[in-house]
Amino acid sequence: MTVKAAVNGIVVLSGVCPSEDAEPLQRYLQADPVPTVDWRTCETLHAAVFQVLLVARPHMVGPPGDDFLRRLAGHLPR
Amino acid sequence: MNEFLEQFVIECREQVEQATADLLALEKSPSNIERLDSAFRAFHSLKGGAGIVDFDAMAEAVHGAEDGLSYARKGTIAISTTLIGDCLACLDQVIQWVDEIARRGDLPRDASKQAAAIVARFSRGDGVAAGADPRPQVEQSVGWVTSILAEHPDAAREARCALRYTPSADCFFSQEDPLARIARLPGLLTIDVSPVHPWPQLCDLDPFQCNLVLVALSSASETEIHKALADVLDRCHIEALEETVRRPSSSLSLDARSLLEAQLGLLESTVNDDFAGKVASAGVVVANVFLAQGDSGLAVPIEEATAQSLAEGQTAPLAHAIKAILFEEAAKPGAPLAFGTEHDTAARALRIDARRVDSLVDLTTELTVAKNAIGHVVALAQNGEEGLEQLLKQRFAVLDRLIGELQQGVLALRVLPLRHVFQRFPRLLRDIAAGLDKSVNLVTEGAETEADKAIVEMLFEPLLHVVRNAIDHGIEDKAGRLALGKPAVATLKLRGYREGENVVIEIADDGQGINVERVRQVAIDRGVATAEALAAMSESQVTALIFEPGFSTAQSVTDLSGRGVGMDVVRTIIVRMGGTVGIESRPGAGTAVRFTLPFSVMLTRIMVVSAAGQKFGIPLDAVVETLRVGPDAIARVGAAQAIVLRNQTVPVIDLREALNLHGESDRRRDAILVVANVDGVSSALQVDVIGERFDAMLKPLEGLLSGTPGLAGSTLLGDGSILLILDLTELCR
Repeated sequence: MTVKAAVNGIVVLSGVCPSEDAEPLQRYLQADPVPTVDWRTCETLHAAVFQVLLVARPHMVGPPGDDFLRRLAGHLPR
Repeated sequence: MNEFLEQFVIECREQVEQATADLLALEKSPSNIERLDSAFRAFHSLKGGAGIVDFDAMAEAVHGAEDGLSYARKGTIAISTTLIGDCLACLDQVIQWVDEIARRGDLPRDASKQAAAIVARFSRGDGVAAGADPRPQVEQSVGWVTSILAEHPDAAREARCALRYTPSADCFFSQEDPLARIARLPGLLTIDVSPVHPWPQLCDLDPFQCNLVLVALSSASETEIHKALADVLDRCHIEALEETVRRPSSSLSLDARSLLEAQLGLLESTVNDDFAGKVASAGVVVANVFLAQGDSGLAVPIEEATAQSLAEGQTAPLAHAIKAILFEEAAKPGAPLAFGTEHDTAARALRIDARRVDSLVDLTTELTVAKNAIGHVVALAQNGEEGLEQLLKQRFAVLDRLIGELQQGVLALRVLPLRHVFQRFPRLLRDIAAGLDKSVNLVTEGAETEADKAIVEMLFEPLLHVVRNAIDHGIEDKAGRLALGKPAVATLKLRGYREGENVVIEIADDGQGINVERVRQVAIDRGVATAEALAAMSESQVTALIFEPGFSTAQSVTDLSGRGVGMDVVRTIIVRMGGTVGIESRPGAGTAVRFTLPFSVMLTRIMVVSAAGQKFGIPLDAVVETLRVGPDAIARVGAAQAIVLRNQTVPVIDLREALNLHGESDRRRDAILVVANVDGVSSALQVDVIGERFDAMLKPLEGLLSGTPGLAGSTLLGDGSILLILDLTELCR
């Protein structure tokens, strides 16, 4: 599992995030009215997971570790 | 080209032929479900084949047409002329690609763009889009390229390719990760992600339904991108961003090319005359060529180059500019080709009926038995056995029969039905008729008549030319026909039949016929014949003048014919194949052009004669009779000799003298004459001995001997020596 809710309420995406991560991420983000996601240690993100981020538009803590993800960062709020 | 591709090319041509025939039949009777199914199957096979050999662009294009046909099968859309036209356009494209594959082993570089154009035909408005096509209509949003380029100006500078990928909604279930795919793209510069449909609320989002459109710019080439996206190409739209300036699509005409080349020659000539005048006039001519072609875009750089040349006092800038256009035009692939060009070269490979091959295999078995039987005779001869003559004679008879059969069998392999060339015409006629106010119904007869493969393959061009002429000049327009009380739809008949050893192909129209008076006038105007010569000619002889070089009755140069290639080309090709051309015209009722061609170009019956101890062959078809006459029968007429034969004076040509032979003669008292008929004139050849007769495959003379006057070719004699075949036309002249 690469999606984790930290104690401070921030959701952390780390390492390789496969499509299976999409559902738990959706649950975490739904539960928080002002969600925040930390993706600094994230290496790859499955499109299914990215879709959840695009819809939920959480506050993103970055930049992520991977070049390609940094290119995607523009689609998400800082 | 590997064997696999060769097969693919053959199959493609066959499928395209099949599909074309089906589509044309379907256009005539849209309710013909069998034809529709057959066309659909042909498209389906084409797509499958293209998929196997990894020609994705081709698979994509054919897939588009297949979709269109599948809606027609379901009844979602009607079978319209537009649909048929689009499918035919797809087949045209496929054939162009197949030609390219046959030449270079690969699709042209811009294939994906051409494929997209084909696909677009099937996804535009008329019902196809309204059908159940779940695929994204990527072509609708042309603006996406512009917008991504505008949003990422830095990336745009390096970008060579823009692509738009719309994954299927359920792609996540098939292990597809669209983001990872784009991340792996070679030379990725930038990526934009947007939803296909507006995003729902987070609580309503199904995270496993993909709702993304990915647009990216890459610095990699179109081919590399194609490779990377190979398995999702049907969901991608790839746009190459190379040169911004696109050349106008119209190719230079032959005339334009020759004009350009002439100007180039003028510029490069070292004759030191008025430099400025030379450059200026060349510049003006070239610019005018482009203006006349409608390529005003090309005229501008030429004018600039002219100015530069004049300023620098050198011809180089203008010469370079002209060369650049000439060569680029030459190198440019894929432009729609005119009829009768390289595009029409027939398939080199040939499919052969398995039964024919089987019968050849059987023959070889029999030949082996015959060979063994001769081995037995050899053994007997070695043992000093007497009276083998009878046995040898028998064996020879067997071998003679078998080899005759073998020859027949091998020749039969080279035989093709005329259908192969006839079947291309319904399609061409459709195109031609679409461009003119003429409606033509094509009737083909005797398509199963067989002829030598070489002949069938070479027939297309002359046939096309005659057909084109018939439609363009022979057949009146609809109004004209109605006024004359003819049916509005003209009939063009393409007919093939065997006549003895010949194959006859007839192209007959029911148009206005040939205006003999006009032919006379034009013949005089263009110096094809003098007024005196014309006065002595019969009407049919005058009509036949249209086959003379330099003759063309076209009053205006149209798209269809009159490209400066006259009917003389038709005659040249037919004569080269060993045939003759005839024309018959009835004023107001139509014209019929007839090609008479030998059935086989290979076998010629030869008679061996000898003169001064040397043997020569004479083609037997020219020989009328052989005579033995007393020496008094030949009379001297001036420097020549002649003989009176059935009240006709026939010139006698002594072969020894004609060929300047000095060998020993075994001429007896009586003269031996071979009377030959060449071009309707009889001549008698005086020879020493008349020998055997046999069928031979004539080989044209090669190397030093090629072009030797009086010799038509060579073949081998039974003893292995070479027999030269005389060209009687040359000798009897």
